[in-house]
Amino acid sequence: MTTTQHRSPESPTDLSHTDGRETVGGDVTGGTERAWLVVALREIVVRMTNRAFLVSTLVTLVFIAGYGAFSVWQAGRTSTYTVAVEDAEGSRLVGQAATTAHSQDEKVVVEPRVVGDAAAARSVVEAGEADAWLHQGTSGWVLTSNDDVDRALLGPLETAVRTDALTTNAAAAGTTVAVLERGSTLATSQFDGQQSTSGFVKGATFAFALLFFMAAMMFGQQIAASVVEEKQSRLVEILVTAIPVRSLLAGKIVGNSVIALGQVLLFAGVGLVAVSFTDMSTLLPSLSTAVVWFVLFFAVGFFALACLFAVAGALASRTEDLQSTTAPMTTILMLVYVLSFGLSGTALQVASFVPIASVVSMPGRILAGDVAWWEPVLALLLMAAFSAATIGLSERIYRRSLLQTRGRVSWKQALRAPE
Amino acid sequence: MSQLEHGERVTTTRSAGVGAATADIEVRHLSRTFDDVRAVDDVSLTVGAGLLTGFVGGNGAGKTTTMRMVMGVLSPTGGEVLWGGRPITALDRRSFGYMPEERGLYPKQPVMDQLVYLGRLRGMGTAAARQSVTEHLERLGLADRARDHVEKLSLGNQQRVQIIAALMGHPRALVLDEPFSGLDPAAVDSMADLLREHTARGVPVLFSSHQLDLVERLCERLVVLARGRVVAAGTPDDLRTRSVLRHRLVLSGDAGWVRGIPGIHAVDVEGHTALLEIVEPGAERRLLEEALRRGDVLELSPQRPSLAQIYREVTA
Repeated sequence: MTTTQHRSPESPTDLSHTDGRETVGGDVTGGTERAWLVVALREIVVRMTNRAFLVSTLVTLVFIAGYGAFSVWQAGRTSTYTVAVEDAEGSRLVGQAATTAHSQDEKVVVEPRVVGDAAAARSVVEAGEADAWLHQGTSGWVLTSNDDVDRALLGPLETAVRTDALTTNAAAAGTTVAVLERGSTLATSQFDGQQSTSGFVKGATFAFALLFFMAAMMFGQQIAASVVEEKQSRLVEILVTAIPVRSLLAGKIVGNSVIALGQVLLFAGVGLVAVSFTDMSTLLPSLSTAVVWFVLFFAVGFFALACLFAVAGALASRTEDLQSTTAPMTTILMLVYVLSFGLSGTALQVASFVPIASVVSMPGRILAGDVAWWEPVLALLLMAAFSAATIGLSERIYRRSLLQTRGRVSWKQALRAPE
Repeated sequence: MSQLEHGERVTTTRSAGVGAATADIEVRHLSRTFDDVRAVDDVSLTVGAGLLTGFVGGNGAGKTTTMRMVMGVLSPTGGEVLWGGRPITALDRRSFGYMPEERGLYPKQPVMDQLVYLGRLRGMGTAAARQSVTEHLERLGLADRARDHVEKLSLGNQQRVQIIAALMGHPRALVLDEPFSGLDPAAVDSMADLLREHTARGVPVLFSSHQLDLVERLCERLVVLARGRVVAAGTPDDLRTRSVLRHRLVLSGDAGWVRGIPGIHAVDVEGHTALLEIVEPGAERRLLEEALRRGDVLELSPQRPSLAQIYREVTA
């Protein structure tokens, strides 16, 4: 009696493909060579021909490019303000204001328009031919308008009136404006000599977080859905007898990661171009550095997430189960997303080294300029180690749960099941 | 049983320019337990190279579980599967055509694309896969549906696509779970022709079915499973000779009296006709004497047992 191979009764599968064989000719050869690549290419083709995916990508691109175009249009627009005055004195003040306004923003033009009396002034302002009426009141100059006056006009006019009055008063007191104003200004500077960018850093971090969150959720769910589709349609039995489970998982992860990364690169590229058209273009060099780091972190971090989502798909047996099996990842992503705005100081420094959270926090810190060169490198290495461990673990769970088509497998069951 | 008996038993057949090193699939003492339930209990069977082997048995008899273990989708609790006399590997199985019991395809991918994909996964080149798919689609009358999404096909046509997925690219063995279910008679014939072409290449084919008439018509070998055990195996003729032979007796008068003849088991009596089993050798002599005493004997003929009858006997 020949002894038989006794396997553990619980082990569901016997699919340890160990050998590799060359792909040749037109027959089924059982070639393992590049099976993952065939799977990856299918994932890419399916995604690239999916209308919903194309439309959402296009809409996002239009949104980003639209922001850039709007900024350009906004920046290129010349604002002309007309101020109604009654006499040469008024015209002179408006002329001074025009000089100040133009020096602040060369796209702003301020012109006087001489009118006969209050009634005429009122009619030109109401007709929209003038923005406001500058005239003498009982205790000085008055600016009358129909609506709130733009800061771009009000500021220079205030300065002109104030300077004019100060000059007159100073002369009367036998001194000059320069003497009076000596030591009265407060200059601002920063220790590292940079412009204030905290708002910009916040905005960019928000963009990173949003981009990461959207891409991870969208592609993660897609990976999980494509795994469960194969389980639900029972294609998986044909697939795993044709290729090793490891190749199937690798192909899915690689295919989806390539598309996810491609999409993020596209968005980031278009976003950078959009920023270059805005008045934040001076910050482009530091932003570009941060974006490069973000893409690096994203690529490494997405790998781990993609594996986890594939496992979530394998744990489900129907599409309806996905919501519960993907819940742990969704929660983690939400936390990363929310925390990335709230953290500061030490908490932010810690977060920037925690895998997954570091995808958003580290590029944010790089942008703020408060990191040493080794910090992002270390964070990236930590993330890579985390991803490698996740991939290993995921492959095991994926293999164990992939062929269990009866009901949902819990994360705990999958982790405890013997190999 | 020694290991030596199962030495190299690889038959290499070369026909019609298609070279396929084929071998027997041997299942030895295979068992599988699910939560204390023995779904498959010490099953041994051989699917010979070039032979169409039918696998029959009621629902829950263990056919699917056995086939899944042959394909490595499920691990056996005990026993083993041999290919060409040695333990089968995952790599061997990759050149097999497999049609699982519960099956599906990517609903939103065109027929041609996904069949080519499945062919490429099993190591075929794109052009070769495309050609093989085209040929099979023509044979099964689906040539004009190559670009349609699978979800737009009728269930019968989806079934044909499944068949192509298993048969394309000259597989070295075929393991097909209920391949004929849901097919119309024309498709059954095309499918039968296709399977015969594969056995002509020397490929072992194992297929399960509930349609006993079909199995009887097609199979060279038969394995009957009941409650997880093999209850009968062999050629259809083998099984028939093992079965108790029945005779049909037609008399000029009422046949009710045959029930009283010792050594004879009257299976069915209706008017002048009786269906009998001769339990005790020599009892037929007593029967005929009594019959001639009572009147004329119009017919006494041995009945060739149908597979359905054999099946009922062995699974009873």
